[in-house]
Amino acid sequence: MARKQVQKSLPEAWDVNVTLATNGIEGIEAIRNGKGEMVFLDLTMPDMDGYEVLAKVKEEGHKAIIIVISADIQPEARERVMGLGALDFIKKPVNPEKLHAVLSAYGLL
Amino acid sequence: MNPVYALSEDQRDCLQEIVNVAMGQAGDSLARYLETFIQLSVPKIRLVESSELVPELQKMSEGAEFISAVRQGFFTAKGNAQIRGEAIVVFGDESFHELADLLAYDGELSTQDQTELLLEVANILSSACLIGLAEQMDVELGFSPPSVIGQNITIHRVVNADRLNWSRALFVEIKYTLEQRSFNCSLLLMMPGEAIDAVTATLDLLLAD
Repeated sequence: MARKQVQKSLPEAWDVNVTLATNGIEGIEAIRNGKGEMVFLDLTMPDMDGYEVLAKVKEEGHKAIIIVISADIQPEARERVMGLGALDFIKKPVNPEKLHAVLSAYGLL
Repeated sequence: MNPVYALSEDQRDCLQEIVNVAMGQAGDSLARYLETFIQLSVPKIRLVESSELVPELQKMSEGAEFISAVRQGFFTAKGNAQIRGEAIVVFGDESFHELADLLAYDGELSTQDQTELLLEVANILSSACLIGLAEQMDVELGFSPPSVIGQNITIHRVVNADRLNWSRALFVEIKYTLEQRSFNCSLLLMMPGEAIDAVTATLDLLLAD
């Protein structure tokens, strides 16, 4: 559901390949396989959560632009992910306007 | 034909996401109250038969011998969908000391203090979560004031299995834990029988958007 919402919110003009991962382990695998130039990352996930994915990406030195999209709206959750190298944090529920605003703020559109 | 009271995959997905958001809102309220970071995990959604109630409750309490619990009823205040159920907050047995410590209480808590603390924390969690759910589902939920089910009781006393008026209920279980502390509590939303259909009908409206 959240993945579909994000996918639907991506800019229509974007010519990109989208890889979906259902948990952190699949996510980090995809990043290792070079499919994570840009990553939309949830925090609460089974098996490996978003914090662990961020830590792994940092540890393994992957060049990924990571935007966290999470329902965890505690200010500390945001601070933590920013500390772990996330580019930005979007609060769920996500919609095209929010996503586009963040993307264009970083010149990614 | 008997109603089936089931969830389709789409309905489950949709509910999962709505619950996620509500869980985050309630977690944030609790974090602000306790002035600490709350760890969230993926909420569990399942349909439970009344015959499975006790083992399901035991699973939820993860083998804790004694727990304390607070209940609060909720119901649709306006509109056609008859969503109703109970929000039950279950605290692990160590949680009192942890709460008292976090809130910087001095000395032993009297039974009265403990009761007030339970009601307060449970009310913060249940109401923030229910408000979050209602907002996203576009329904108006009313709720009854919280009441203590029991302090230091065994888990099977949380719901009286002999007096159930449902054979199948929708269970939404949300767990809140703290790092490096033994505090843990679970919020259980229990929606019985026909309320399941009211939930799925509401989800269908959202999915149709």
